[in-house]
Amino acid sequence: MTERVFKGLKVLELGAGAAGPISTRYLSEQGAHVIRIESAHRPDFLRLMMAVKTDTMAERMDSALMFALLNTDKQSLTVNMKHEQGADIVRRLVQWADLVCENFSPKVMPKWGLTYENLKKLKPDLVMASGCLFGQTGPDRLYPGFGGQGTALSGFAYVTGWPGRETVGPFGTITDSLSPKYVACAIAAALFHRRRTGEGRYIDVSQIETAVYSMSAAIVRQSANNETEERRGNHDEFAAPHNVYPTTGDDRWIAIAVQTDTEWTALKKEMGNPEALNNSSYDSLEGRVEAQEHIDKTIGEWSQAFDRNELMSKLQAAGVEAGALNNQADLLEDPALNHRGHFVWLEHKYLGRAAFERPGFRLSESGGGFDKPGPLLGEHNREILTKILGYTIAEIDRLTSEELFV
Amino acid sequence: MLSGIRVLDLTCERGFLAGKILGDMGADVVKIEAPTGDAIRQRGPFLAGKEGPERSLPWLALNTSKRGITLDLDQPDGQDVFRTLAKQADIVLESFQPGLMKDRGLGYAALVADNPKLIYCAISPFGQDGPYSHYNAHDLVIVAMSGNLQMTGDPDRPPIRCTMPTSYYHAAPEAVLGIIMALYSREDSQRGQFVDVSMQETHTSTLLCHTGNYSVDGVINHRAGYRVGPSREVWKVKDGYISYGLRGGPTRVPNLVATVEYMDETGCAPEWLKNYNWKNYDVFSMTSEEIAPLEEAFGSFFETKTRAELFEESVKRRIMLAPCNDSAEVLAHRQLRSRDLFVTLDYPELGASIEHPNFFAKTTGNDVRIRGKAPKLGEHTDAVLQEAGISTEKVSALRQQGVI
Repeated sequence: MTERVFKGLKVLELGAGAAGPISTRYLSEQGAHVIRIESAHRPDFLRLMMAVKTDTMAERMDSALMFALLNTDKQSLTVNMKHEQGADIVRRLVQWADLVCENFSPKVMPKWGLTYENLKKLKPDLVMASGCLFGQTGPDRLYPGFGGQGTALSGFAYVTGWPGRETVGPFGTITDSLSPKYVACAIAAALFHRRRTGEGRYIDVSQIETAVYSMSAAIVRQSANNETEERRGNHDEFAAPHNVYPTTGDDRWIAIAVQTDTEWTALKKEMGNPEALNNSSYDSLEGRVEAQEHIDKTIGEWSQAFDRNELMSKLQAAGVEAGALNNQADLLEDPALNHRGHFVWLEHKYLGRAAFERPGFRLSESGGGFDKPGPLLGEHNREILTKILGYTIAEIDRLTSEELFV
Repeated sequence: MLSGIRVLDLTCERGFLAGKILGDMGADVVKIEAPTGDAIRQRGPFLAGKEGPERSLPWLALNTSKRGITLDLDQPDGQDVFRTLAKQADIVLESFQPGLMKDRGLGYAALVADNPKLIYCAISPFGQDGPYSHYNAHDLVIVAMSGNLQMTGDPDRPPIRCTMPTSYYHAAPEAVLGIIMALYSREDSQRGQFVDVSMQETHTSTLLCHTGNYSVDGVINHRAGYRVGPSREVWKVKDGYISYGLRGGPTRVPNLVATVEYMDETGCAPEWLKNYNWKNYDVFSMTSEEIAPLEEAFGSFFETKTRAELFEESVKRRIMLAPCNDSAEVLAHRQLRSRDLFVTLDYPELGASIEHPNFFAKTTGNDVRIRGKAPKLGEHTDAVLQEAGISTEKVSALRQQGVI
């Protein structure tokens, strides 16, 4: 096995929340040296969420679960950007870095003079990525929103729910999990380009645009046919039956998706060819779509007697697409995820043992994985300031008491 | 950024987007279809509702920036042609059931023996091996197994999926990321590698950190419909729905205060709300009795406004409120249009002009953009086979045999 892909790559990260840190976690998972600039004066709001220890502010910021989970294998340096030397420290680290990533609102980096135009002068082949909700340009670029708003604006909320009722998802505010994947793609491509040509790049990602790009099929349909995708519950235009059905246990379900007429015949057979489904019009997709309420009801009455995992194996063996609905506890036990080593269990100073989750792809020759939970606030100040910026311990102590490294 | 990189794209609908991303970033992507054409060409929705292999809208949307050839990979001569192409390619990208390419003698091990620099990426529902690798699955089943489905929907109703196949959308950029990482490391090693993508695994990321949380606190979360935690997140307004949260914290309280000011200016803020003490406000520690009057006050205000009015004021006042847009509204959005997100492609042979999202990132090199329309069935077969050094006579023979 060769070394991790990004071993030796130097990354400077500014910003907060989920979307920014997730995009650089793909790099740290492959060995990149990622330094996060933070400050106790304006902490990343993830450090204030879901804290385990809340007796002091310092403990709270170091024991926040979500921060620890989304910032694995990164280092933390505290720099007070309100201090007159704050921006200068960042500029010196930019000269060290190959890549700068930030996900602030578009006015923040210019306020500190840390634009790509300025930083490129210090480091001509710099790759820099910005990833905010709406992008760096345009009339609404300063609009402040979180993932819930991104999901609504990009059109994903509208298509999730029951017809005639309010939207109910998709769970997890899709822009927060989708946009980091595209940011990481663009960064990796820019680094590859730099390696081949010596040229840097500035990358401006709008989280909403990544979602709209993904939904190209809906946009094209709207533009070409003036047809709008609607909330359909679990139903599908091109597959039926296509729904979730109750199984034994409280709130336990199985998903069944019949894509072809052959699968329909196989499903009926597994159900013992019930009288209620004995109708030749159901042998075509059109007929099944027409009668799907009745078909759903019949399947649900049958499925409720089965354990969801047993029913899944039985149907899959018969050539019918089926999958048990997993909850968080099931995921930790899921044999396919565990076969792939999805969960990496690491010890955190305050959280104890926790499951950290790897991305969905494996590289046969480059390994990858996590070694350490997200850093404590300022955990790596001394290491970074002495080794990279050449400060002495006495200077660090003095500048810390002068409120620079806090 | 990916110029000069040759991709052989064998994907079905589960992987179209991955090939498109590579093509839109400048790679030379050759889409390979069976001579009968990809299944999606037979499935709608079709342009203007009229069936035809060149009229499938999902085909046109998700195969831009690709050239297209037909090749029967189940015939020995077709397999030979594929081996020739793979010798000259950088990347093979496929989304078949695991094992199918190996059964054809075209698995990674066979291809890499002839081309050690080859990168082979396989996208499958559950990965190339393991207990579920032989399971068949499309979006609904993948979303179920990823944990997302159980969490989406109303608490008193069955779980629900997004109408659009989100699991395909999550798998594609992770597959591309894996491929580019392999390209990057190939610069040193001069060797390719296998990129094994599990769609279930990529989609677990939609839970953000909820599974990790469970590993620490043992709390299983339940779907909460239009709520996030204890408070409403989706609200009815005059002409549809909006997304707006009553959550607190330093980043959100100023937006709550700004909303109350806006309400007050239109005469809709009750006295008690104007004097509300937002210091230390935390909705997660409040009872439903304490939250109810807030929801009542905000909700009855929102109902007097349209989505456009509310969004306009929200941009001005820095309020975190957003309309739940449908695809027509997304297409018309002034911010997206100001950034030239949409590009019009002309299809003169179909009598249509269609707008497509043009990029997922803006870069200083203008590196991400649609390079060309989705290919017609077999449109580039002759050109691609000729480039590969296959003689005109051989191409004619293959065509007669029905291999291409």
